[in-house]
Amino acid sequence: MATRWPGATPYSPIPAAKNLPGGGTGQERERKVVSKGNQQYPPLRALQASAVLRRASDEHKKEPLASSSQQHFDSPPAGHQPEQKPQGPHPSYTGQGGQESEDYESEEQLQHRILTAALEFVPEHGWTAEAIAEGAKTLGLSVAAAGMFRSDGSELILHFVSECNSKLSELLQKEQKLVQLGEAEKKPIDEFLRDAVEARLRMLIPYIEKWPQALSILLLPRNIPSSLNLLTSMIDDIWHYAGDQSTDFNWYTRRAVLTGIYNTTELVMMQDSSPGFEDTWRFLGNRVADAMAMSSTASQVQSTGEAVVQGLMGAAVTALCWKS
Amino acid sequence: MAAAAGPAVRCSLWQRRSLRCGPGTGSAPLPARPSGRPAPRAGACPSRHRCLSAGPRPVPGGGAPLRLCSTQAVPQAGINKPVIDRIIRVDHAGEFGANRIYAGQMAVLGRSSVGPVIQQMWNQEKDHLKKFNELMVAYRVRPTVLLPFWNVAGFVLGAGSALLGKKGAMACTVAVEESISEHYNNQIRTLIEEDPEKYKELLQVIKQFRDEEQEHHDIGLEHDAEATPAYSVLKTAIQLGCKAAIFLSERI
Repeated sequence: MATRWPGATPYSPIPAAKNLPGGGTGQERERKVVSKGNQQYPPLRALQASAVLRRASDEHKKEPLASSSQQHFDSPPAGHQPEQKPQGPHPSYTGQGGQESEDYESEEQLQHRILTAALEFVPEHGWTAEAIAEGAKTLGLSVAAAGMFRSDGSELILHFVSECNSKLSELLQKEQKLVQLGEAEKKPIDEFLRDAVEARLRMLIPYIEKWPQALSILLLPRNIPSSLNLLTSMIDDIWHYAGDQSTDFNWYTRRAVLTGIYNTTELVMMQDSSPGFEDTWRFLGNRVADAMAMSSTASQVQSTGEAVVQGLMGAAVTALCWKS
Repeated sequence: MAAAAGPAVRCSLWQRRSLRCGPGTGSAPLPARPSGRPAPRAGACPSRHRCLSAGPRPVPGGGAPLRLCSTQAVPQAGINKPVIDRIIRVDHAGEFGANRIYAGQMAVLGRSSVGPVIQQMWNQEKDHLKKFNELMVAYRVRPTVLLPFWNVAGFVLGAGSALLGKKGAMACTVAVEESISEHYNNQIRTLIEEDPEKYKELLQVIKQFRDEEQEHHDIGLEHDAEATPAYSVLKTAIQLGCKAAIFLSERI
């Protein structure tokens, strides 16, 4: 039911409910407005939290809380839901003045900054809300900022994985440019894969103590879609820069094999205590070599199989032709 | 698929993807939303190759060779990736299936009077498949998992319809090509609704292929496809199969 009380719009903040005329208890109406508001704006609480943070963090900001909330509600579609992708470096909020919209950052950018700052506290606090709180403190925000995120640190881990993947992507792209310009030699496939996986795993070294904890959190059912997505896009990236142009089932086989190599090497790395992780890199080299050997055997089997099938088909057709 | 990812994750994911743009596109750090912004290089041909060294190097794993040259990738920012992904994946699967159907028909009727006709249609389908292979690499689209299945099913359909005689083979051709023409028309409509300028090249390719499939359809009719016994039953069954194949290949 959507009763429209005079003066109340779906966008009005909760305090306005107290001013509504008419019968019924004020609390009842408040609850209705709250539930209605929450229905339409699930991230309402997060928004208000971030608005509070901004106020607490910057005493020089003159815009009051109510008007900033009003501002949010005036332009609802522009990036309110965390699920929406960012529209650009400056979202299309209708700012209260020219200089306001320049200072204004979207919630996602703020979260990005907090999580990046939180990473340096991970070796000490682990992948937890404490690390996020410490990170927020270094940015001058209140520790309540950690309330924006889930308490098990999933977003921090996913953010970290995503950042590592981006760095890997940049690295591979730079390498590719060098090869294109003729300044570097094109590596053979096994060496390329080995180097790419090693480069990616080396990014874990500063956090290696707490990484097993992160892995177990990434395996939580709630996080599996995101972590799987990140993993598959990273493996796809590596193969793309390795020069894979397969358009048949090989596309899947190659990625599956590389995913296996990456995951097992990661696990070995968790338990490796050798200097400079040399055992891990040796393990990686062996797995990649195994994969190359396996693929050559597979291709031999496949061509034999194809020849057999063709022979059978030919025999069948010939037999049919003889019969008719 | 990453529905549960926090905004920070999605933000970085998109950041990462924008780095894959072709050289010189100069995209913003955070790419624009899919609709509205035209790709900076609308004219970039996805099939233009820049080979820097001697020919393709054979890979031990068989399948497509790992080429030493780099295909000029299409700039990824600004295109509606999910829609384009689906379109290219299903079209690739379709051309692959059509190839196998004609292969099956040739296996049975290769030495008959309609052999040359089928061979010519098959050659055109081979060209189509080659083109979609290039597009698939350029747009970094994953092929459908069901390819091995379409491999067998297509051949069986082709050979099976050819065993019903020349008219049966032509009836199969008519049914399949009609399905495919309709399917291409739907895709053309979708792309035009999205942004005809941005997808000009892809639209051109699909339009040309649609015209050629329509030709095949007409050739089939010319060769007495409709005189096949149980023509309408056969046609309906095949077209139902095509619809199912299209539905599955788009998603899986």
